[in-house]
Amino acid sequence: MSRIGVFVCHCGENISRTVDVERVAKEAGDIPGVAFSCDYKYMCSDPGQNLLKKAVADNNLDGVLVAACSPRMHEKTFRKAASAAGLNPYLCEMGNIREHCSWVHEDREEATAKASDIVKLMVERVKKGKSLAPITVPVTKKALVIGGGIAGIQAALDIADAGHQVVMVEREPSIGGHMAQLSETFPTLDCSQCIMTPKMVDVANHPNITLYTFAEIEKVEGYIGNFQVTVRKKARSVDESKCTGCGVCMTKCPKKKIPNEFDQGHGMRTAIYVPFPQAVPNTPVIDRQNCTMFQSGKCGVCQKVCGPGAVDFEQQDTLIVEPVGAIVVATGFKLYSIERQPEDSPIQGYGEFGYGTIPDIIDGMTFERLASASGPTGGKILRPSDGKEPKQVVFIQCVGSRAREKGISYCSKVCCMYTAKHTMLYHHKVHDGQAYVFYMDARTPGKGYDEFWRRAVEEEEAVYIRGMVSRMYQRGDKIVVMGSDTLVGVQVEIEADLVVMATAVQAQDGADLLAQKLGISYDKYNFYSEAHAKLKPVECATAGIYLAGACQGPKDIPDTVSQASAAAAKVMTLFAKDQLERDPVVAKVNEKYCVGCLACKKVCPYGAVEEREIRDRQGNLVKVVASVNPGVCGGCGTCQATCPSKSVELDGYTDEQIMAMIEAL
Amino acid sequence: MNAKAEKIRVASIDPSYYQAVTDAIRTEAVKLLSEEAVVAVVGYLPGRRIGTAVPGLVTTPEQAQQLIFSPACVNNLSLYLTKAKKGVLKKGKVAIIAKGCDLRALAGLMGESQVKKEDIYTIGIACAGVFGANSDRKGGLTEASIARKCRECTVHQPEGVDLLVGTLPELPQLTALEAQELARLEALTPEERWAYWKEQFSKCIRCLACRQVCPFCYCEQCLCDKNRPQALESSPRPAGNTAWHIVRAMHLAGRCGGCAECERVCPMDIPLNLLNRRMAMELKELYDYEASMVPQEKGPLTRYQEDDDQSFIK
Repeated sequence: MSRIGVFVCHCGENISRTVDVERVAKEAGDIPGVAFSCDYKYMCSDPGQNLLKKAVADNNLDGVLVAACSPRMHEKTFRKAASAAGLNPYLCEMGNIREHCSWVHEDREEATAKASDIVKLMVERVKKGKSLAPITVPVTKKALVIGGGIAGIQAALDIADAGHQVVMVEREPSIGGHMAQLSETFPTLDCSQCIMTPKMVDVANHPNITLYTFAEIEKVEGYIGNFQVTVRKKARSVDESKCTGCGVCMTKCPKKKIPNEFDQGHGMRTAIYVPFPQAVPNTPVIDRQNCTMFQSGKCGVCQKVCGPGAVDFEQQDTLIVEPVGAIVVATGFKLYSIERQPEDSPIQGYGEFGYGTIPDIIDGMTFERLASASGPTGGKILRPSDGKEPKQVVFIQCVGSRAREKGISYCSKVCCMYTAKHTMLYHHKVHDGQAYVFYMDARTPGKGYDEFWRRAVEEEEAVYIRGMVSRMYQRGDKIVVMGSDTLVGVQVEIEADLVVMATAVQAQDGADLLAQKLGISYDKYNFYSEAHAKLKPVECATAGIYLAGACQGPKDIPDTVSQASAAAAKVMTLFAKDQLERDPVVAKVNEKYCVGCLACKKVCPYGAVEEREIRDRQGNLVKVVASVNPGVCGGCGTCQATCPSKSVELDGYTDEQIMAMIEAL
Repeated sequence: MNAKAEKIRVASIDPSYYQAVTDAIRTEAVKLLSEEAVVAVVGYLPGRRIGTAVPGLVTTPEQAQQLIFSPACVNNLSLYLTKAKKGVLKKGKVAIIAKGCDLRALAGLMGESQVKKEDIYTIGIACAGVFGANSDRKGGLTEASIARKCRECTVHQPEGVDLLVGTLPELPQLTALEAQELARLEALTPEERWAYWKEQFSKCIRCLACRQVCPFCYCEQCLCDKNRPQALESSPRPAGNTAWHIVRAMHLAGRCGGCAECERVCPMDIPLNLLNRRMAMELKELYDYEASMVPQEKGPLTRYQEDDDQSFIK
């Protein structure tokens, strides 16, 4: 007969509020094989853990069940305590009566009955549990950073400075991301380029960083400490090893009228181009869609003028496999567009603002480019339609953000601050101009933030109107902005020369596809999910993958940099050890019954299953079976679910355990 | 089917077609065995009663002269490469006679690493159809005697075989009885359909002939024979019977080639192929998958694609 101890936690009041924990503990005591049961206010606290250790010793327990929160939260804690008491840690299990019970139910009677059931079935699982020994695997001390914006750059530099190798993969031809596009940054109004470009150069020159620009993640295999990442380096049509960055190709390229993405389409670039003069690497790329050579086969001017002969029209995509131990995802954000969307799209555009057809209604990032010294207007605020200096500018906050009717209910966090900054930049450049801001409420938490906002309102003469804009349309060369001032309680109509919308921050295009390749989770807006909102803000639920920056949710630069350094610290912690201890929850094949259909091999997301030949003593092949590499197995159990003959099982989740759990009910 | 088509129905298949196929099989088998290109040919031999045929393994050119093909050659011979004659493949390359539906099973077995393409030599038959279970076999293959599965066969002409024998005669236009029956069941309410299947499964005596005859049931120990833990009750009672037939249908989903051998051998006449076909429809709808006559690297349920239907995740 088993001797199992059941410990029921109150979790302060989190569980005891809806579950009669004393009754659950008492009923647990009546389950055959349970030798000890009790309830306690905080099982995870020091006295709680001591209670567990003492009970194991006093009652000679051979298995422990802690009925408390999710195992994601405290399984490690209690397994450590059980281990300290001399039990094999894998004979300690958790019954989740918080997330799975007390938090989601209201009826005390029914919640208590359910908690008792959870305890009952988990006791059966503990009974059938086996002692397991941890597995150690080597750690590849090389990190992959996906994304070369400020988040990726900061994380890469921190990890590289700690002495580890870093591979940085950036989708665009240059690193720098959105921060490189900004003019000046809040709350100090220092020039974005001045603080960003030195970091970009540091990345390029760092001996520990390998930089792949114009590259994307093709495939990710493996697990914490031992990922195999395949990077697709898109054909640049320029040989990076030969190019000196002289720029002659760009000056000679006859296609000069292509809207420049870096300037939000307001400047022009050539078909062979670097996105902006400070780009890193300073190696051009040929935009094959717009290049005459690629479209009609006639031109080749860039190739003729290139001294070192770096232009290569025949260049193909190349696949590079990089073994890495940790991954930092820093793919950033994109801005919401008010353009018309398909009817069935979850996020809708703004018909009342003309769906983006009015040229002088621009978004915040376009304003950044207009205000930037390196922008299409050389830093002069000139409106796109006729190049005149606007004298009345209306700024609208929360366009897309906090707009449930458009499909986005979250706050984009940075817009209040950057709109205040925009009004200042405008005021500094157009002294006789007037800025109006329509806002819902000004959200300015952060060091020096509220002072900054107050300065915009009080010293820089921006007129803040609390209310939303209902409609905008073109009248002559003006844009009529119809809104309401809810503080005064009147309708407002402003004839603006230029309108700047603070559009919502959204996850990057393809964020969901990358998440699927990485095996990390994401929310309904495609922002990546952290492992714990408070205690694990930079970790993913998938071990060895960390998050930095706006890919996890809207963030300003200080927060992004902090998170990037935090992610780097997590990577360094991982790299501090040569061997990684892993949970022994891995699959095992019963070779006697395995028929070698290898369905498990086909479905294994970790590539952990191999074929193994069983031979007799004379060397004759008896049969071929599947074989699991425990170092690679991630313990997901997909093989177990797939195996038609039930010949593969996950330790700790055997069919016997699961059937016993079902039968206990 | 319209009235006119009914009238021009072909009464029966010309016996000369079977003779031509038989001759071609014999010639090829003799050639393969005398050249020692294969160690054995898995084919059909005449049964003891007239008008019957039995599966047979021939290893000499003389025996090969006995091989036949007739509407009585109902068995799916790919079975003999996995179970009863598993040792055969260890001796060397084997030739096997395959109808279109059998070929789909062979392709599936190759995809599941049970048979290697280089270990076998497939002799595909352009097949006009075979007898149904319990049918009156006098007067050759007629509309009355043809198997239900053959009435709506889409694989008369095998593909990707090493040798194709026979030329298809003019085929009769037949009503798709199985499709009609499936449509009838689909039109029922879930309760009525459940009642129908409950009644069907209650007939089951758990002889497991369906398992023994299925080329895909090649496990060395069947899940239903396991007792620690026991997945389903082994005695023939309604709950265990239902569980068994559901497990069988699920395990065959995305694999079944539609040979309908399970239904043929069922002594209790449970329409098992309806279940197989229903699962096939499901896979067609969800993953645009159909059992193929050429081996696939991954089946629909062991493959993940980014555009897979995910509507089941709520």
